[in-house]
Amino acid sequence: MNTMGLLVFDGLLLFSIVGLAWASLATTDVRRGVILFMAFGLLLAVAWGRLLAPDVALAEAAIGAGLSGALLLAAVHRQPRPLSPGATHDSLYRSAAAVSMVVRWVVTLLSAALAGTLAWGLLHAFSSTPQDMLPRAIAENLAASGVSNPVTAVLLNFRAYDTLLELAVLLTSVLGIFSLGPATPGYQPAGPIFDGLVRWLVPVLILMAGYLLWVGAHAPGGAFQAGATLAAAGVVLRLAGRARIGLPEGFALRIVMTAGVSVFLLVGLTLLLLGRPFLGYPPAWAGALILLIETAAMLSIAATLLLAFLGGQPESTGVKAAANRQREEISRC
Amino acid sequence: MTDAMIGLIALPLAGALATLLLPRSATAVAIGTGLATTVAAGLLLSGVATQGALHYEIGGWSAGLGIALRADGLSALLLMMTALVALAASVYASAYFNTASERARFWPLWLLLWTALNALLLSGDLFNLYVTLELLGLSAVALASLSGRRAAVAAALRYLLVGLLGSMMFLAGVSLLYAGYGTLDLAALSHMVAPGPSAWTALALMTTGLLLKTALFPLHFWLPPAHASAPAPVSAVLSALVVKAAFYLVLRLWLDVFATVVTPAAANLLGLLGAGAVLWGSWHALQAERLKLLAAYSTVAQLGYLFLFFPLLLALPSGPARDLAAGGLVMLALTHGFAKAGLFLAIGVIQQRCGHDTIRQLDGTAQRLPATTFAIALAGVALIGLPPSGAFLGKWQLLAGAVEAGQWLWLVVTAVGSLLAAAYIFKVLGHAFGHRPYPNQPVTVAREEWPALLLAGMAALVLGLSGAPMWKLLELGI
Amino acid sequence: MLTTQILYALTGCMIVALGLRGALLHASVLQRIVAINVMGAGVFMLLIAVAYRGPGLPPDPVPHALVLTGIVVAVSATALALALVRRLHAEQEDD
Repeated sequence: MNTMGLLVFDGLLLFSIVGLAWASLATTDVRRGVILFMAFGLLLAVAWGRLLAPDVALAEAAIGAGLSGALLLAAVHRQPRPLSPGATHDSLYRSAAAVSMVVRWVVTLLSAALAGTLAWGLLHAFSSTPQDMLPRAIAENLAASGVSNPVTAVLLNFRAYDTLLELAVLLTSVLGIFSLGPATPGYQPAGPIFDGLVRWLVPVLILMAGYLLWVGAHAPGGAFQAGATLAAAGVVLRLAGRARIGLPEGFALRIVMTAGVSVFLLVGLTLLLLGRPFLGYPPAWAGALILLIETAAMLSIAATLLLAFLGGQPESTGVKAAANRQREEISRC
Repeated sequence: MTDAMIGLIALPLAGALATLLLPRSATAVAIGTGLATTVAAGLLLSGVATQGALHYEIGGWSAGLGIALRADGLSALLLMMTALVALAASVYASAYFNTASERARFWPLWLLLWTALNALLLSGDLFNLYVTLELLGLSAVALASLSGRRAAVAAALRYLLVGLLGSMMFLAGVSLLYAGYGTLDLAALSHMVAPGPSAWTALALMTTGLLLKTALFPLHFWLPPAHASAPAPVSAVLSALVVKAAFYLVLRLWLDVFATVVTPAAANLLGLLGAGAVLWGSWHALQAERLKLLAAYSTVAQLGYLFLFFPLLLALPSGPARDLAAGGLVMLALTHGFAKAGLFLAIGVIQQRCGHDTIRQLDGTAQRLPATTFAIALAGVALIGLPPSGAFLGKWQLLAGAVEAGQWLWLVVTAVGSLLAAAYIFKVLGHAFGHRPYPNQPVTVAREEWPALLLAGMAALVLGLSGAPMWKLLELGI
Repeated sequence: MLTTQILYALTGCMIVALGLRGALLHASVLQRIVAINVMGAGVFMLLIAVAYRGPGLPPDPVPHALVLTGIVVAVSATALALALVRRLHAEQEDD
């Protein structure tokens, strides 16, 4: 594509993205705002593809637009009738009516000033000689990293510690959600069309997740994209009113939730015990270790994202769960 | 000793996983993990004391390509304080929560919070700091909303949103620095960052984001409700450690990474905001009706003192006077950590035994709960800044530095703030020593009351008397 | 300095500003959560713009990894925020 064509494309894309962001935040109808936000997310994924970031595009589409959108829509759906004016307690200003013109203008100017300073700083940063020591270092060490996709190499090898902590962040979020209450009530059983769709969509999603996990070593993909796709399969099952959505129960559920962090820690500490640095994979084993960690991470990510969508610990079914409940009642006395 | 750094992060994280998988023995696992982590912190401290600043490259990749962990005198001392405070609060928490389900929900989040604190204090990489900040924020919010009551959940939600805003601004600053210098490693950046639009903007963004998280006036509005409605052990750690972590980052950025970029004018701005915090916080603490609110406002005020040091550190030329001021800053931060944690734990005991924490109705707690009231008194000594507490040494250095640099405003603010602190502490103690004699014997439950007493004693006595070795340790830091 | 880079970076700044404005002004908590997500998307756009080195060179993978991590962190925070909102509404209905 010639540069003029690309420029026009970029212009249209960016204009649409900014327009969607504006519209999403300007509307008073929260539901419309959320849907516009999802569209914004999808166009962002296109932008990431345009900027040669396919891994990020996949993740944005699946997690940023897809799962966030699903969470927000479910929250909008659950919103109760409008509260009495005195009941808003969590807004920075007491109620919408009190936000005067002055405050609006001050905040708008503040935000514009922020954008301006940020742009000024960025332009100055861009104008200095481009620093590429990290890309060069990555290119040099890519062969020893065990994978050939540089983003996977950064995520699972060079900066694996960040990914370990990020999995801990996911776990923390779900534990917080658990402590706030039980899961949302499910949906009613799907009609024939949706049920038919689910019947083939879910296996395709599961296959796609496996593929994304495997291919992440040498092409765009990886644990996060795979985990999100797997979670999407669970979300679809849930929306179709199915009782079983692929999540184990009780202890097995906790194992799956913690699998990512556990395997990561185990690998790291074992390497430490063997005399290597923490998370310093030996080059011969790096590929295999990364795949091992990614598989565990995919399961954890899928489980935690699905649990986040559920909004809490799913109601246990069966004899074992009833016994657990009984035991807990006794310990509470 | 570098293994101690890994241990400090891996132990609480493993403990969190273990308490989640084995809820029935969660308390024992948690206390055990706490002890092990404290030992690791002690090992690290002794390592830094003997070998100087330590660093560790995770994965063996050179810093820049990989993530580096760094520990110097400052971070080792803060890690030790984190360990001792968290351990004491853990012991208290084992007695505070009554039901198995409460404990099962509490321990994993608590240990994840501890992991986040340690990871933050040890991190030597900018983006890694962002991730640790997020882990810290989410676990703190989840713990703050644990009671499920409306006030707690509303305050926790506000805390979360404010925290996210702060994190986004921090990340924007990180992007600017990466765009300009091509690396995320703190040590490398401290050599490379030069004054210019990108550095100024990055500094402003990151500082503002962190000021939101450390609740510096006027960005403090979220703190009093969040800390006052959280469960007592959580409030202790929130006030003593979590806000301190964000302050530590401001300190690191200003003195390390952006050392060539910060201007005295910017430091004076921070100092003025700190002065506002001291006055506003102390005034509201005096007017508070509930003990927990008083303690929360007191945190806002005490953090203000820490920011008063910034204009001094920039105005004083490099040398013994500046080193003493830096030492005073750390001493004040450490003392506040222990004192505030002890105070919140003591308030927790009162709240559980008396059923409320209204100051006016404290009639006679000195007789019913003598150990706890003594703990409050000791914590009060440290909060006011009376000798021999570490806060006295810290404030003394603040005043000495102010005189040396000729900045008299901080003198006035410190004096007024300390007077107000004395007023609100004595108000509490006055109500605690009621007039009516209490007929029954006071009952002391060790697990509940000793942690508060030990923490407060640490603040009021131990830290002050161990000033000299600490000063020496800090020479290895700032 | 590539035109594409500058174009996307400036747009990113605009989106950050839009998000900040929305986060500070909206009375509805859900819209503020959306606004914070928009702000995050703006920062991600800045990072990806920094990573882009033109059609000839492969992009810098580090900001891509950072944005991936950021997306996951953002969804975790959003999920927790929404759970808090849900609990808050449940408490209010009980009154």
